[in-house]
Amino acid sequence: MKRLPLALLCLPGLAHALDFNRDVRPVLAQQCFTCHGMDDHGRKGKLRLDLQASAYGSGKSGEIAIVPGKPEASELVKRILSTDEDEVMPPPHTKKVLSDKEQNILKQWIAEGAKYEAHWAYTPPQPSRDPKAGIDHFIRERLEKEGLKPSPEADRHTLVRRVHLDLTGLPPTPAEADAFVNDQSPQAYEKLVDSLLTSKPYGERWARRWLDLARYADTNGFEKDRPRQIWPYRDWVVKALNDDMPFDQFSIKQLAGDMLPNATPEDIIATGFHRNTMLNEEGGIDPNEYRFYAMVDRVSVTGTAWMGLTMNCVQCHTHKYDPVLHTDFYSVMALLNNADEPTYHIPTPDIKEQQKALADRIARLEAELPGKFPGGEPAMQQRFAAWQAEERGRASSWQVIRPTSMKTTMPHLEQQGDGFILGSGDISKSDVYDLSFKAPIQGVTAVKLEVASHPSLPNDGPGLTYYEGPIGGFFLSEFQAFQNGQRVKITNAEATNEEEEDKINDAAAAKPTKKAARKAASKKTNNAMATLDAEMSSGWQVLGGYGQSHAAVFHFKKPVDLTNGLDLKMLFEKHFACPLGHFRLSVTTSDHAEATGLPLEAENALATNDPTKRQAMLRTFLETAPEMKQAAAPLIAARRQMPRGQPTLAMKERPSSNPRPTNRYHRGEYLQPKEVVPPAVPAFLPSLPKNAPANRLTFAKWLFAPENPLTARVTVNRQWQAFFGRGLVKSLEDFGYQSEAPSHPELLDWLAVQLVKDGWSLKKLHKLIVMSATYKQASHRPDSSGQRDPENTLLSHAPRFRLDAEIIRDSALKAAGLLSLKMGGPGVYPPQPASVTSEGTYGKVEWKVSEGEDRYRRSLYTFTKRTAPFAMATTFDAPTGEACLARRDVSNSPLQALTLLNDQMFMEAAQAMAKAVIAEFTDDDSRLTNTFRRCLTRPPAADELTMLKTFLQKQRAQKLEGEALWTSVCRAVLNLDEAITHP
Amino acid sequence: MQPRTSHPSDFGFQTSNFITRRWFLRDCTIGFGAMALNNLLTRDGFGATGPLAPRRPHHAARAKRVIYMFNAGAPSHLELFDYKPELEKRSGQLPPADLLKNYRAAFIKPNSALLGPKFKFRKHGASGMELSEVIPHIGGIADEICLIRTMQTDAVNHAPAQILMNTGNQNFGRPSFGAWTLYGLGCESEDLPGYVVLTSAKGTSGGASNYGSGFLPNMYGGVPFRSTGDPLLYLSNPAGYDAETQRASLNTLNALNHISFTGQGDPDIAARIQSYEMAYRLQSSAPELIDLSDEPKHVLDMYGIKDVKQPGYARNCLLARRLIERGVRFVQLFHEAWDQHAGLTKGVQNNARDTDQASAALVKDLRQRGLLDDTLVVWGGEFGRTPMVQGGNDGRDHHNRCFSFWLAGGGLKRGHVHGETDDLGFNPVTPPVHVNDLNATLLHLLGFDHKRLSYRVQGLDMRLTGIAGNVVSDVLA
Repeated sequence: MKRLPLALLCLPGLAHALDFNRDVRPVLAQQCFTCHGMDDHGRKGKLRLDLQASAYGSGKSGEIAIVPGKPEASELVKRILSTDEDEVMPPPHTKKVLSDKEQNILKQWIAEGAKYEAHWAYTPPQPSRDPKAGIDHFIRERLEKEGLKPSPEADRHTLVRRVHLDLTGLPPTPAEADAFVNDQSPQAYEKLVDSLLTSKPYGERWARRWLDLARYADTNGFEKDRPRQIWPYRDWVVKALNDDMPFDQFSIKQLAGDMLPNATPEDIIATGFHRNTMLNEEGGIDPNEYRFYAMVDRVSVTGTAWMGLTMNCVQCHTHKYDPVLHTDFYSVMALLNNADEPTYHIPTPDIKEQQKALADRIARLEAELPGKFPGGEPAMQQRFAAWQAEERGRASSWQVIRPTSMKTTMPHLEQQGDGFILGSGDISKSDVYDLSFKAPIQGVTAVKLEVASHPSLPNDGPGLTYYEGPIGGFFLSEFQAFQNGQRVKITNAEATNEEEEDKINDAAAAKPTKKAARKAASKKTNNAMATLDAEMSSGWQVLGGYGQSHAAVFHFKKPVDLTNGLDLKMLFEKHFACPLGHFRLSVTTSDHAEATGLPLEAENALATNDPTKRQAMLRTFLETAPEMKQAAAPLIAARRQMPRGQPTLAMKERPSSNPRPTNRYHRGEYLQPKEVVPPAVPAFLPSLPKNAPANRLTFAKWLFAPENPLTARVTVNRQWQAFFGRGLVKSLEDFGYQSEAPSHPELLDWLAVQLVKDGWSLKKLHKLIVMSATYKQASHRPDSSGQRDPENTLLSHAPRFRLDAEIIRDSALKAAGLLSLKMGGPGVYPPQPASVTSEGTYGKVEWKVSEGEDRYRRSLYTFTKRTAPFAMATTFDAPTGEACLARRDVSNSPLQALTLLNDQMFMEAAQAMAKAVIAEFTDDDSRLTNTFRRCLTRPPAADELTMLKTFLQKQRAQKLEGEALWTSVCRAVLNLDEAITHP
Repeated sequence: MQPRTSHPSDFGFQTSNFITRRWFLRDCTIGFGAMALNNLLTRDGFGATGPLAPRRPHHAARAKRVIYMFNAGAPSHLELFDYKPELEKRSGQLPPADLLKNYRAAFIKPNSALLGPKFKFRKHGASGMELSEVIPHIGGIADEICLIRTMQTDAVNHAPAQILMNTGNQNFGRPSFGAWTLYGLGCESEDLPGYVVLTSAKGTSGGASNYGSGFLPNMYGGVPFRSTGDPLLYLSNPAGYDAETQRASLNTLNALNHISFTGQGDPDIAARIQSYEMAYRLQSSAPELIDLSDEPKHVLDMYGIKDVKQPGYARNCLLARRLIERGVRFVQLFHEAWDQHAGLTKGVQNNARDTDQASAALVKDLRQRGLLDDTLVVWGGEFGRTPMVQGGNDGRDHHNRCFSFWLAGGGLKRGHVHGETDDLGFNPVTPPVHVNDLNATLLHLLGFDHKRLSYRVQGLDMRLTGIAGNVVSDVLA
C-alpha cells in the first residue's frame, strides 16, 4: 500500500473546513460506531470514538486512537489505511469499506485538531444575551447579512384574513373584516388578535394540528375498522387549548393524567392520546402482537411529538447516528407500558345523579313488590310457604371455596372479599386458569361456577373479551378437575342460560342482520356440557353486559374429598381472546345439585331452612313467582340499566400487584423477545429524577424539566411552522444529528426560553408571533428574493401556502353562511359520494349523511373512518389517522380541482351564498363585490370586477338567471386560488 | 430527470430547484398573457414535470408499467396451482408432528387432519405446466406465464398480510408498491392519474392502505376508479352545468387566477391554473376510458364480458388494458373473494369462474397488442391455505409458509415454474420467495435496485423491501 503524503490527501471536494456534525460524525457513525460507539454490547478493543475523552485515550492495544493535529501519530489513521487484513479498519468481515473521501475526511479532521462538537439540540437552550432579542430582530439581522430586505406590512384586508385563518381556521366575514379595517386606533390589530385568541374557534383550529400528531380517528382501523368512541378526548383537546392550559400540563395529562394525585375525570379523558393507536379485530390474530405494535407506535409518537427524536430508528437496532441505543427504545417503552387500557365511562354529575335516582328507584320497587302480590298479604304468605316447600326439594346448600393458589397463562386474578375472583391484564387466544383448593369438606358432589358483571371489565363483563368477539363475554372451552394429578371425572354439567345458549354464539352476535345471525347460530351448539367434550371449539359462554349473572354446575361421577385438595382447570380458547373476568366457585355435598338459577344466599336458605334468611327467600320468591311476572318486570329491567356515562378510551396504571414487564425485542420483532429492560430514558439526555419512581408520570414530567433540551424547542418550532409553512428547523419530527440545522438558531432558542418563561402558554406564544412585523409582512414576492432565497427560508416576505383541507371546507361554509359553530360531540357525516365507503372497504359501510346543522359543522367534527377517510379531506392531504403526522404535505392536483368544482358540499355552499347575496344586495356590482369578499375578504380590483361582470353577462346570455346564475358566480369565486390560500 | 435514490426533500412544490425553474418561467412569461403561460408552463397535474415527471430508473428496465391483479382473501394454492397427489393419498391423516413446530395458525389447531385437493390437475402447453381444472383459461396461457410456487410471507392474518404484500410491511403507513413505482418512474399520462385502482367483489381487509402513498407524498397514491356513481370522485359537473358552462367558468377562473399570479408572483398559482385545466381534460378522458362500447365483440367475448356496463373483475381487466394503453403507469385490481375457511369447493369454483377467463384474456390481449413485452403482469394474494382441514371436510385455514403467484410480461421467463414445495404443499423445498424477494424482483424488472430506491423518513432511508430482499434471478428471461 502506497502511503500518500498528507498534503495530497486533501481532495478538492474537501477544501472547506470540516464541520464535525455535518461532515465527520456521519462517517464515524456509519463506519465505526457499531464497534466503537455507545453500544456496550458490540464494543471492540475497549475503544469509543463517539466520546472525545475516550477517542483521545488509548484502546486495548495501548495505542492512542486520535492525536489531535497529528494524523500520522494517530492509530486510527494507521488502521484505516492499513493493508493488513488483521489490522485494517473497518475489518473485512464487517463488509464495511471506507471510501477515499471518507478516509480523507477523517484525516483532515484530525489534522484540523479533531474537535468534537456537541449537537445543538442536545444542550438546553440558553437565554439570549442580546438586549434586542426578539423575532423581528433575529429575522432582520439575518436578512441584512444576506443582503435582503424585509417586506412592508401587508394591507389590512390581507392582515385580517391571515390572522383570522391562522388563529381560528376561519376567514372573517366582510363585516368582521371591515370592523378591523375601519378601526383607526393603534391598538386595533392587538384588539383583534386578543379577541381571536379568546374565541372558541381558536381551540378547534389548533386541536386539529395536535390531533394529526395524536393520530386521532373514530374507528379502530385494520380490516373490520369498527367505530370507537374517543371523541371526548378530541373535545378535551379543544377545551384545553381554549383554556390556554399550559403546554406542560396539557402534555403531562395526556401521557399520565390517570396517575396524577386526585385525578379528575378530565385528567383521565386526556390519556386518550395514546389510546388513539389502532385495534386489530380480525379473527384469528394474536392480540398481544398487535398490542406490541401499538406500544411501538406509542414510543415513536412520543419521540416525534415531544422530543424531536426519531425513536423508530432504534426499534430494530441501535441508532446509526443519534446517541440512542436499541435498548433505549424498550426502556422508554417500559416507562409507558405499565397501563391497562379500559373504556372509561365519564362520571358527570348528571350521570351520578341518574345512578342515584336508579338506585333509589330499585330500592323503591323492591320495597313495593310485596304490596303488589295479587290477593294481598294472606295470599302471598300462602303461596310463599308453598313455594318454599317446593323449592326446598330442588335447592342444595353451596359453600363458597377460595383458591389456595391461582395460576394462569396470562390474565391476572385477584380474590375479592365476597369470594369472587376478578381478572385483569393481558389475555390471549388460549388462556388456562389453574385454581387449587383445599377445604375440610368431604363428599363433594358438584362444583358451581357463578359468573357476574363487574364495572372494571370490558362492557361490564363477566368476560375479559375486548375485541372481535362479543365484548365483555367469555368462552369456556373446557372445564376439568384433578386430584393429585389424576383426572377427577365430571359426568355432566348444566347452566342457567341453557335456553339461550344456542342463540348466543360469537358469530351470531357479530352478524349485522337477523337472518345472518340466525343462520350462524344454527351452526353450533354451545352449552355447559360442551366444556366436557375435549373439543376446544365448543364450550359455555355468556355474553357481556351490565347485570349479567349466570351459573354452571359441574357434577362429579363420585363424591370428592376436598381435604385432599382439588385442582380445577379452565380453558378459554377461541379465534379471539375470551377468558372469564369475574367469577366465584362453590361446592355442595347435596345429592340433587342443579343449576337452579336461584341466588346463592336464597338457595342456601331454602336448603337449610334457615329462618333468619327469610327476607332473602321472600325476595327471590317475589321476583320469580309466575303471578308476579308483570309486577316484578320493572324491577328486573331496572337492574340491567345502569347509566354509565359517555364512554371514552383511557389509560389506567396497573396495580403494583400486577406490573407488566417489558422486554427488548431482537430486530424489533414480536416473536423475538429478549431480556427484560428497566424503565429509563436514553442516557445522553438528563436522567429521570432519582427520588421518583421510574414510571409514566415521572417520564411525562421529565419532558418538561428545565434541563431537558428538546421539548420547548420542538414545541415552538411546530407552532412556528403553522404560521410560516416551514419550521425554523425544517424537520419538525427530527432534531437529531441528521436534521438540517435551524435557519435561525438564536431565534429558536429565544422562543423556547420565552415559552418556558411564559409558563408554557401557547396563546402567549401565538400572540408573540402574530404581533411580530415578520408575521405581518406582505406576501408579494420582492423581485430580489426569487433567486437568492427561493424557499423564503429567511422570510423576506410572508409565505403563501395552500390551506389545510379542514380550513378550505370550513372557509367555504362560513363564506356561504352555512357553517354551524356547534362544538363537540360525536363525529358527524357531511355529504360525500356513497362509493367512498361502499367500495373498497371491508364490508360495505353506509355513510349516513347527517341532517340539519350537523351537515355543516366544522371539519374537525367529521367522522374519521380510517380505512375510508372523508374523501375531500384526503384529497387535500389530511391524514387518515393511521400514523402520527408531524407535518402535512401541501400538494396540488386535478383531483382537488374536481372536488372544489363538483363536490356536492361545495355546490351547497355556492347555492347558499347565491341566495344570501341576492337577498342582501340588488345590483350586480354590489353582489359581485360581496361574493368576492365572502371568499377572499378583500374587495375586487377593477379588472377583477370587470372579468366577473363579463362572466355574469355570458351566463345571462346562456339563459341563466336568478339563483342558478349567482350560484355559478359563487362557484367560480370559491374556486379561486386565493380562496384556498394562506394570504 | 435523474433516477431516484434517497431524496429527503426533493418533493412538493416548495423545493428549491422546482421553484427556481418556475420562478424563471414566471419572469420570462410575464407580459405574454395567459395563453403563453399555459403553453410554456409545464404540466404539474398528473405528469410531465415536477414530482410526477417521468424519470429514468437505475438500470435498463425490462418493463415500464404494471398490472397487478391482487386476488385477496388468500387463493388456495392447493386447489389452483400446486398439485399434491400425496396430500390426496393422506387426506384424513394427521400431519407429521415435526412439520408443526412453531407453526402459527389463525383459526385451527395446527394438529388437524390433512385434506386432499378438491380438483383435478392437468398439464398445459409446451411447458407442461400443471394447473387445476378450474382455471382452464390460465392453463391456455401457461406458456406465457412464470409460476412461482414457493411464495412466503410473515403474516397469517388478512389485513396485515395484504398490507405486507402491497407495502412490504405489515404495519400501516408505508407506501404501496404502486406508489413506489410512481415515485421512481413518474407518470407518463397527461390526462389520467399514474396509478389507478379498480375493485370488484368485497372490499379488501387492508383497505385503502393497500394502495396508499404511506409516507410518500399523497400524489403517488393509487386513485380508485369507482364502479358506482362517478368513476372518479366528483368527475361530473353538478346538475345544470354542461361542458360549455364549465369551460366558461374555468376561463374566468383562470383569468382571475392569472391576475393574482402576476400580482403575487407566486408560481403555485400557475400550478393551480394547470390543475384546473387537467381536471377539465380528465372530465372527458375518464368517461371515454370507461366507455367500452368501442370495443369489438370478439374482444368482449375473450374477456367474457356480456354487459359492458356490468361492474366486475372481467370489466376491470379490460379497463386495465385501456388504462395502460393511455399511459397509466400502474393499474391494480383488487378482488377480495378467496377466503375459503368453509365451502372450499364451491367457493374456489365460483371465484375461478369470475376471474380465470378475464385474467388470461388480459395477458393474451396485451400480447396481441404488443404491450406484454414491456408490461409486468402480476397475479396473487396475501398468503396460501393450509393442507390441513378447517371445520368438516371442505375448508382450509390461512397458511403463510408457501403459496403461488404468477407473473407474465417484460423480462420474465415464459412457461416457467419456479420453486417446489413438499409433498403436502406445506413448506417450500427450494429456497422460498419471500414478499421482499418478489418485490425486489419486480423492482429490478422496472429498472430499480431495490436497495437504492429509498425515501428518508424520520432519519431512516426507507425502502419497499425494508432491509431484506433478493432478486430471484431464476425467473428472469
